[in-house]
Amino acid sequence: MKMSKLYKLMIATAGVTLSLVSFADVAVIVHPTSSVATMTVEDVSRIFLGKSNNFPGGAQAIAINQDEGSATRVKFNDTVCKKSASQYKAYWSQLMFTGKGTPPKDVGNDAAVKALIAANPNMIGYVDASSVDASVKVVYKFP
Amino acid sequence: MKELKFPFKKTCLAAAILVAGLVPLANASDVKLSGFLSVGGGIVDDAKGVEYNGYTEEKLKFDHNLLGLQITGTVSDKITATAQFTARSETDYQLKAQWAYLTYQVTDDTKIRAGRLRTPFYLYSDFLDVGYAYNWISPPREVYYLPFNNMDGVDVYSTYSLGSFDASVQAYFGTFDDTYDFSGTLAPAFTRNQMGIAATIGKDWWNFRVAYHKADLTMDASKTPLSATSTFGSFAQVLTKFGFEKNANNFLIEADKADFKEIGFTADTGTFVSAIEHVEFNPGENFLAKNIREYAMVGVRHGEWLFNITAQKAKDELATPEAGIPAGVALPVVGSTNVLIGTLQAVAKTQPVNRDVLSIGARWDFTSGTALKLQLDDIDDDSAGKQKVLSVAVQTVF
Repeated sequence: MKMSKLYKLMIATAGVTLSLVSFADVAVIVHPTSSVATMTVEDVSRIFLGKSNNFPGGAQAIAINQDEGSATRVKFNDTVCKKSASQYKAYWSQLMFTGKGTPPKDVGNDAAVKALIAANPNMIGYVDASSVDASVKVVYKFP
Repeated sequence: MKELKFPFKKTCLAAAILVAGLVPLANASDVKLSGFLSVGGGIVDDAKGVEYNGYTEEKLKFDHNLLGLQITGTVSDKITATAQFTARSETDYQLKAQWAYLTYQVTDDTKIRAGRLRTPFYLYSDFLDVGYAYNWISPPREVYYLPFNNMDGVDVYSTYSLGSFDASVQAYFGTFDDTYDFSGTLAPAFTRNQMGIAATIGKDWWNFRVAYHKADLTMDASKTPLSATSTFGSFAQVLTKFGFEKNANNFLIEADKADFKEIGFTADTGTFVSAIEHVEFNPGENFLAKNIREYAMVGVRHGEWLFNITAQKAKDELATPEAGIPAGVALPVVGSTNVLIGTLQAVAKTQPVNRDVLSIGARWDFTSGTALKLQLDDIDDDSAGKQKVLSVAVQTVF
């Protein structure tokens, strides 16, 4: 009886920990020298859905994605683009086979996105908020 | 329907573009290869009944297969070259170039393209062959029936932000040269001075589209047999000989002023989806019917499943190439003007389609980039009768 209670507690704790992990904040990041201070969710979504190629203010914006299957990407697509992984793929297949748009490149994980953003003033990406440091600037954040 | 064959024989422009596209192959980072695949088949309820959408048998055959490959090469900062090839089971997987064009990025929001392009007739024209991109196995047949989907020419495509709205305008000028099957006789079919404009406006969950196209249309059916001893061409000569030159002109499809109008709407709230489209094709003064076609689709998404109901309607209008010929006037050889009137009316009557189709369909995105689709069509044709078609397809992009 006691064992079983302890077991349940362990599962509950594990569950809480897991949900904490998946509910970590996601930060949308740009190069630290970017003139953009903050962006709205619409600004970000328009760039990631290919509806705009520019930052608010006019500078060229190049969006980069984390790899498919990344929890951060799932959350970003869900919250910002308002699309499931398959809806997101179907959306881009409408544009990429027509010459009307090219989807953001899949570049890897948090570290890979951060490294590219830190080196490219025109890029915009998203990472788990816990991995943000001085090499990049946060312009939008969501829980 | 004849498309550009590979290797290219006819279109030097397309060949030049392909070469331009292949040059950077040495530098792999400048070339993008993407593709799409559809494998499917279907069964009809009654093989003796009307054939629909290429489905004819009561036993399942996977004979609606399509592979598409697209190559995009970066020529310079501003210029890219794109070629799209498809291979279909219906044409024994012969490789054909659907598109081959150069894109010049004028500004961030405007591009000019030249070469072989998809004609922007419909909401789903751009990705007609990419089944994964939409929710049906193929777009509603009654509306998506035009046989000539590509053209050679130039277009300008611009996108705009109007406050919180997104808008786009695409305008083009071009021609197509093809052949059309008139009851077993291949007739040269082409347009000159073909031009059109398509505009869209939308927000994140809806999009509204209008399009207008016009062209001088020729479909040379003059060699098509009309009876054992006559053809469309010889019958037009008979009309002219009896003084009905205007009717001869209003019978044949020769540089006729044709136009095509479209209005469409799509919505996707995440849970509910909808698409509505209405088209009208006015073929000009000839025996072809005026086509009036529409469909409405509503669907609901649940997780990786999407269910839809689509209603389609074709309500074409009969042409009147006999208008102006007085009835009951005696004529040498043929007997009476009634023979001419009867022949013209008989030909025109073969053209209109009056049909209702009700479909239910399901799409299941069972893994990333791949969807399984099922569809049941219930067809009710005023002249050809009824039919039911059950079809299935797996569609993917890569």
